[in-house]
Amino acid sequence: MSAMTPAPTAPAPVAGRTRPPRPRTLSAFRSGPLTYGLLVILSAIFTIPLVFVVSIALSSDTTVSTGQLSILPRDFEFSNFVDIFRTSLPVGSFLVNSVIIAVSSAIGQVLSSSLVGYAFARLRAPGKRPLFFVVIATMMIPAQITMIPQFWIFSQLGWIDTFLPLIVPQFFSNAFNIFLVRQFVTRIPYEMDEAASIDGLGFFGIYARLILPMMTPILIAIAIFTLTAMWGDFMGPLIYINSEDKMPLALGVQYLTSTSQELQTPPWNLIMVGSIFLSLPMIIIYYFGQRYMYEMNLSAGSAGVK
Amino acid sequence: MTSTALEPPAVGEPAPRRRQATRQKLTAHRRKEALTFYLFISPWVIGFVVFLLGPMLFSIYLSFTEWDSFTAPVWVGLDNYITLLTDDPIFMKVMGNTAYYSLISVPLGMVVSLFIANLLNKKVRFRKLFRTLVYLPHLIPIVAVALIFQMVFAPEAGPLNQALALIGIDGPNWLMDASWVKPALILMSLWQAGGGTILLLAGMNGIPKELYEAAEIDGASGFRQFWSVTFPQLTPVIFFNLIMGIIGSFQVFAQVFILTGGGPDNASQMAVPMLFDEAFRFYHMGYGSAIAWILFVVIMAFTALAFATSGRWVFYESEVRQ
Repeated sequence: MSAMTPAPTAPAPVAGRTRPPRPRTLSAFRSGPLTYGLLVILSAIFTIPLVFVVSIALSSDTTVSTGQLSILPRDFEFSNFVDIFRTSLPVGSFLVNSVIIAVSSAIGQVLSSSLVGYAFARLRAPGKRPLFFVVIATMMIPAQITMIPQFWIFSQLGWIDTFLPLIVPQFFSNAFNIFLVRQFVTRIPYEMDEAASIDGLGFFGIYARLILPMMTPILIAIAIFTLTAMWGDFMGPLIYINSEDKMPLALGVQYLTSTSQELQTPPWNLIMVGSIFLSLPMIIIYYFGQRYMYEMNLSAGSAGVK
Repeated sequence: MTSTALEPPAVGEPAPRRRQATRQKLTAHRRKEALTFYLFISPWVIGFVVFLLGPMLFSIYLSFTEWDSFTAPVWVGLDNYITLLTDDPIFMKVMGNTAYYSLISVPLGMVVSLFIANLLNKKVRFRKLFRTLVYLPHLIPIVAVALIFQMVFAPEAGPLNQALALIGIDGPNWLMDASWVKPALILMSLWQAGGGTILLLAGMNGIPKELYEAAEIDGASGFRQFWSVTFPQLTPVIFFNLIMGIIGSFQVFAQVFILTGGGPDNASQMAVPMLFDEAFRFYHMGYGSAIAWILFVVIMAFTALAFATSGRWVFYESEVRQ
């Protein structure tokens, strides 16, 4: 109604206080009891499994072995969070291994993708366009195609049961990250490069001292993306890691379910503690890095659309 | 043009000679630039050759051989492909399972995330809280998701069957029942649908409010506004999610491997777990490579289909409509 007020009275706000009356919310954005009802039900459905995990993680051994689990916690055995390190499996090493693999992979991707992405964004060379087309085309190839030959290569190198098959390929960049860096650098004004070049910086100097510091947001996004991908990776370690003390957490937690066959039921309370250990760092990283991931999502979105 | 700016004008030199010198400098500069380019992209070039192109060619060759990875590969021609497509006891079932999983879970996930995004796009209190709760499952690593759902699907104590019991339904033994194991895996994938919601919300934010004002003046109902304004404006995001979703879900692995091992009776066996079994459990590397290439062709076909039909329903702002 108020939006309909005749034009002459609406403008000319006096002394900043009186603004034109706010138009009422458009019907598309209006929320009613139905909206809230649906949101509460949906949020509950999405949250229940998480609550259930915590409930199991806090259950005593007897509750687990008798199958008396409930959605809301019945026991509060916080000692499970310590006991998980006292199983027959080296859970402490699992955690350390995961950190080593994820962090070195992130370092590898940040170094290599920034270098390659910068080159594709700024340097002129014959053959650049077809090469970039190849970079983009490689995004379409599923990892399964190269899985078997890569296994053969790494076994020839004697790298089976080491972290190397998981980490080393990350130092050779990947197409998606190259694309992200290139898009990002293209948006930096070229005049800055010219100024730096007049000041006597070579190409590497421009990269290392000018562009690299300005790339920080996208590099953080790439680091987060690599960290989360490698932290959660299951198939890679499953193929390449055999000994228990070299397993990352994602493989080790699953291993907990399969090694306790002599028991009637696997130690689900400890397995859920392991799942929490596996999940919590991802939630924390997301919490602190979400604005960078948001930027990356946007670039990723436009990558698919164009 | 940049390079000329770098040259301080040499005073007093005759013009033609100066230009020649500049050009020489310029080509030298260009050559150095090109050299630097190839030096800088060398990590990608090496990675491309060693980890992608080489393995791809090797994989094509392997798919025409029988190879246990210890002795020399034996050339068998098209045998692997022929066996897979006509004689393998489970491969057709496995591809059917994979297509079933992918073609139901991806569109369904899209509907769910779109529905939630539309709710969250309204003016609601605690919006941030709702958004976080819906998004949280998306952050859980897939191994943890699988382990969590092993508990959620538990026939007696699992919350899913407990909830079903509340409304008088006797829930099935999800993971042990051949007819319920694929719906169970699809349900599990829906738990992570909140990831798409965030992308869609960002897209909804960019839709001009004038469109809704116009629709309201025209007297369009809520659903009509969604269908005629929101949905068309979001089609690029939806299209991107659709393609990425299909590619990703055809490669489903950890869920199946951890939760069901492909069972019962191969009812939940999918392409990549089968490939993994053939290659790394039975050491049928040639056979496994053939599976990988068939999978690749299928993924490509679906991607091409999504692209080919996109013209009909994807709306781009810049497009001139006739």
